Amino acid sequence: MHEEKIKRLASMKKSAESGGGQERVEAQHSKGKLTARERIALLLDEGSFVELDKYITHRSDDPTLPKFYGDGAVTGFGTINGRQVFLFSFDFTVLGGSLGEMTSKKISKAMDHAMKVGCPIIGIIDSGGARIQEGVMSLDGYGEIFFHNTMASGVIPQITASIGPSAGGAVYSPAMTDFVVMVENVGQMFVTGPEVVKEVLSQEVSFEELGGARAHATKSGVAHFIANNEYDCFDKVKKLLSFIPQNNAEEPAIVETNDDDPNRIDPKLINILPENPYQQYDMKEIIKSIVDNGDFFEVHELFAENIIVGFARMGGRSIGIIANQPMYLAGALDINSSNKAARFIRFCDAFNISIVTLVDTPGYLPGADQEHNGIIRHGSKLLFAYCEATVPKVTCIIGKAYGGAYIAMGSKNLRADINYAWPSAEIAVLGPEAAITIIHRRELKNAPNATDTKKKLAKEFRDKFANPYIAAEKGIIDVVIDPMETRPMIIQALNALANKKESRPWKKHGNINL
Amino acid sequence: MSKKITSILIANRGEIALRVIRACRDLGIKSIAIYSDEDIRAVHVKRADEAYHIGPAAPAQSYLNMTKIVETAKAAGADAIHPGYGFLSENENFSEMCDKNGIIFIGPTSKAMELTGDKMKCKAVMKKAKVPTVPGSDGIVEDMQEAADIADEAGYPVLLKSAFGGGGRGIRLANDEKQLRQEFEMASAESRAAFGKAALFVEKYLERIRHIEFQLIRDSHGNSRHLFERECSIQRRHQKLIEMSPSPVVDQKTRERIGEIAVRAVDAVDYLNAGTAEFLRDPQGNFYFIEINSRLQVEHPVTELVTGLDLVKLQIGVAQGEELTFKQQDLKMNGCAIECRINAEDPFYEFAPSTGIVPNCNLPYGPGIRVDTYLYPGCNVSGYYDSLVAKLLAWGRNFDESRIRMKHALDEFMIEGINTTIPLYKTIMDDRNFINGELSTDYLDRFKILNKMSENAKEAAKKSAKAAVAAVLLQSEFVRKTEAIHQSSIPKSKWKMMRG
Amino acid sequence: MQFKVGDLAELFEGEVLRTTDNNSVVIKIGGKQHTLQLLKSGTNEFEFLLDNSFHHAKILQLSTAEVKMMIDGQLLVVKKHSKLTEVLENASVIGVGGGDRNLTSQIPGRVVNIVAKPGTEVKKGDVIVVLESMKMQVAVKAHKDGNLKEIKVKQGASVARNDVLAVIE
Repeated sequence: MHEEKIKRLASMKKSAESGGGQERVEAQHSKGKLTARERIALLLDEGSFVELDKYITHRSDDPTLPKFYGDGAVTGFGTINGRQVFLFSFDFTVLGGSLGEMTSKKISKAMDHAMKVGCPIIGIIDSGGARIQEGVMSLDGYGEIFFHNTMASGVIPQITASIGPSAGGAVYSPAMTDFVVMVENVGQMFVTGPEVVKEVLSQEVSFEELGGARAHATKSGVAHFIANNEYDCFDKVKKLLSFIPQNNAEEPAIVETNDDDPNRIDPKLINILPENPYQQYDMKEIIKSIVDNGDFFEVHELFAENIIVGFARMGGRSIGIIANQPMYLAGALDINSSNKAARFIRFCDAFNISIVTLVDTPGYLPGADQEHNGIIRHGSKLLFAYCEATVPKVTCIIGKAYGGAYIAMGSKNLRADINYAWPSAEIAVLGPEAAITIIHRRELKNAPNATDTKKKLAKEFRDKFANPYIAAEKGIIDVVIDPMETRPMIIQALNALANKKESRPWKKHGNINL
Repeated sequence: MSKKITSILIANRGEIALRVIRACRDLGIKSIAIYSDEDIRAVHVKRADEAYHIGPAAPAQSYLNMTKIVETAKAAGADAIHPGYGFLSENENFSEMCDKNGIIFIGPTSKAMELTGDKMKCKAVMKKAKVPTVPGSDGIVEDMQEAADIADEAGYPVLLKSAFGGGGRGIRLANDEKQLRQEFEMASAESRAAFGKAALFVEKYLERIRHIEFQLIRDSHGNSRHLFERECSIQRRHQKLIEMSPSPVVDQKTRERIGEIAVRAVDAVDYLNAGTAEFLRDPQGNFYFIEINSRLQVEHPVTELVTGLDLVKLQIGVAQGEELTFKQQDLKMNGCAIECRINAEDPFYEFAPSTGIVPNCNLPYGPGIRVDTYLYPGCNVSGYYDSLVAKLLAWGRNFDESRIRMKHALDEFMIEGINTTIPLYKTIMDDRNFINGELSTDYLDRFKILNKMSENAKEAAKKSAKAAVAAVLLQSEFVRKTEAIHQSSIPKSKWKMMRG
Repeated sequence: MQFKVGDLAELFEGEVLRTTDNNSVVIKIGGKQHTLQLLKSGTNEFEFLLDNSFHHAKILQLSTAEVKMMIDGQLLVVKKHSKLTEVLENASVIGVGGGDRNLTSQIPGRVVNIVAKPGTEVKKGDVIVVLESMKMQVAVKAHKDGNLKEIKVKQGASVARNDVLAVIE
């Protein structure tokens, strides 16, 4: 007698797990895309997935809308390298992965669980968007998800894997998550699609050009990572998770088995800087030298390349790194780089990840373009983010640090805890060349050979002011260090600051100049 | 002329530096090591009595920096410098610099080095000493008829080599006189166009040759001894891979005969200290002198194993002006030794170099096994220097015992973190042709050894496939289990949704 | 799950059936059951008996698609999810899942020669740059036909394994 019931369960299970049916699955595969369940199998530890709301169906009274178990998404929980996560994966084989009332309910439920438990929530997006037949209820559905994203923001890490389309309002959910990984040529996000763009503006643009992975990783900054394929996408999600904690009350795990000696000195470090201070060099070489095993997980690699942000470990401890990149725009700060770094700092602060800043910037990028697009507003975000952050902050000035940009890059007054400087550091209000044109204006006007006098004065200025010792005398730099000891010095600082507790005045929230 | 050496600066790195340090230790001589930025944690730095930093990683600024090295030697009070092999070991300017600064150079005189370094001059000296050389022209041939006459005497096929431009460029093959005339015309025209004059050599083309060399030592009293032969035919791109002693095609009579010729060669150039006379042997059994390597060679342990001598100690003795105490007839070849040069290269991927940290390694040992290496768990294999990471040697009472010991030592040899050529040698030790002594410098291509190696890898993969799959399944199980244990044993998470 | 071991053509079907006591696992490989007795385990290193035969495995690299390991002293790469890989490889063929534009370096080394010119058409096998390591020169060849969009390294630069050298579209 009970046999019947078991049989029924087995057939229900099979039906639910076949998504939109054999044909639809084959169509998905023929496009080179995996199904929702296959993706979950790649992401989670073998055998750890427990599916919830498997048999949910829509409640619409539209007779033309077929019912499918699961209603277009697969949700549940499992582990990634042993760590608890909740996730939802849109099922493109069911009604094009469109979002209906019940789809939203089950996704919101998964997010609620993640909040209760305090573990990351991961969303795999492969969706045609709102389900037209369900009308306002599908919009209601998105609204619910947006609210949940907002509530979860800064409480548990939220990661989005874009492995398919996501159009219209639907893209705002990923935008509110902490990190977005897009698979090249597969993931797509745009508010208004190419057809409408053509109709309204007569602009011809392809799906990929408009909202593909590369467009969002290089131009808009919506995507933090580009993955080569679905395997690479999940590798990146897993790697990202390894640096961050489960929730905002915990710290990232410290890797005890540390092959890379925390006291390792690198005599080659100072040689990375060229003799000529105007020559470019690659800041990433310095970063790779000081972090554990040279393992630097860069975030937003192709966006605002004049600043570098990313995760790494030092002495086994997970940290966030922010560094100017002299190879692009000479490391100057601008709108995009300010935004990029500010958001990264706020994520690290929200999740108890210490921040290490490496400075070599000549200032802000000048120009009407920057001014009119609001460098003043955007630049202020970086200052705000550093000040707001109460995690341990260690800054090391490598080269130039002029004017407002010096202040903006984790300076003492923004309440960085420990400020180091290399002997090559130049801390000044203005670069020598610019400074002397102002200070020695009269002398230069009357000089017989302006170029030579300029050079002489600039050198004098450099020797006298543009060095770290003046700042060190004032206590704004805590200590000038030997470049080869950068790694042990930073690790020791981080260890000392590990138990840092700092508070800020109570407020509902600040008014960062968005 | 005797000067007692109390301290030696070793102008080298890696396994040879360690080798010389060991000899110094045995003799109670202070060992002074030098190291570049890259070698700060190298084993030779740890073992030496004193170590001095010599410069940045690039060889030109460190191990090839003659001035810095001599300065360091003087500052450290070194009596002598041992140059090892490679780097400055055959640099006569360096040898002269040492002389000028009152430091004993453990090796030949700069005059001898200059002579042995000039192939044509050396060949001329050898001919005078009646040392058989590769038949061909003694110098440049400008005349077509002269070329034809020389080719006739040497015997076809012959090679036409350009005097300028080396390394395979401008080498043409002629199988008979007609072809020779054609090639000569073209080669001269090319040479004239490129260098302004027609400068060609004619040399007999030797096929299926074996590379057989004789180890020699000569003291400052004119005593020369040969320490038998080594067969080094198995090579790739002119780099030796395997050396062994005795050679399968050298019997006692040949050994004595060629040994005598080798002695004559070093006598002819008034050589000093250890050196090697290299010969090519054709399938008919004729030996032709090629050159003298005026340094201690990588493969010297092979000779040490079959003679029981310590070559580095002998070098130091000769440098001190001591006279060799043994006579030629006192020396006996004992057993058989094989050496495999373990390189940090991937034999499955065109021998691509492989660098990085070696997190762990297991060196083989046991009866008849010797390993000369700079490896230790956690050491760094650098891209700035050559790819030799270890020399694995096996000695046995006969070839087969030595070969089988080598085979098992290769199985035991485990190096993590880099690719090595160990799989290549495993294949060769089992190769029928190697076992039968069918060696020649084209051995690898001739017997398609690389294909055999890939096949063996496939077989090995097949055998290990199930275990590999099991390991992967174990890994995911393990992750699940340890996490479960971990969860239950850690203190309760601090998680609570705090309300602001 | 389907596994591909090294270069072997044969695919292996493997799964865990159950764990018996603390250190024993029953697995199924290719339809046959085997007992795995775990003897020693560390981070990514295992010693076990597979049907009474001793094996030592050290996991060197773990990613979603493959596991690189030393099994009994032999280096082997086991690819997981072989069936799914087929689907994804199809993606590259039809121009989806584009990620193959990057020409990466297989070895760490220094760039000694930049041979090809950006903006030109290249064929698979054409030499793009020459790296130097351990006194050997290694030519890095184009992995596919296409337009050499960009060379990402400069002469003299140091590159690490898997660094992107050039972009070919």
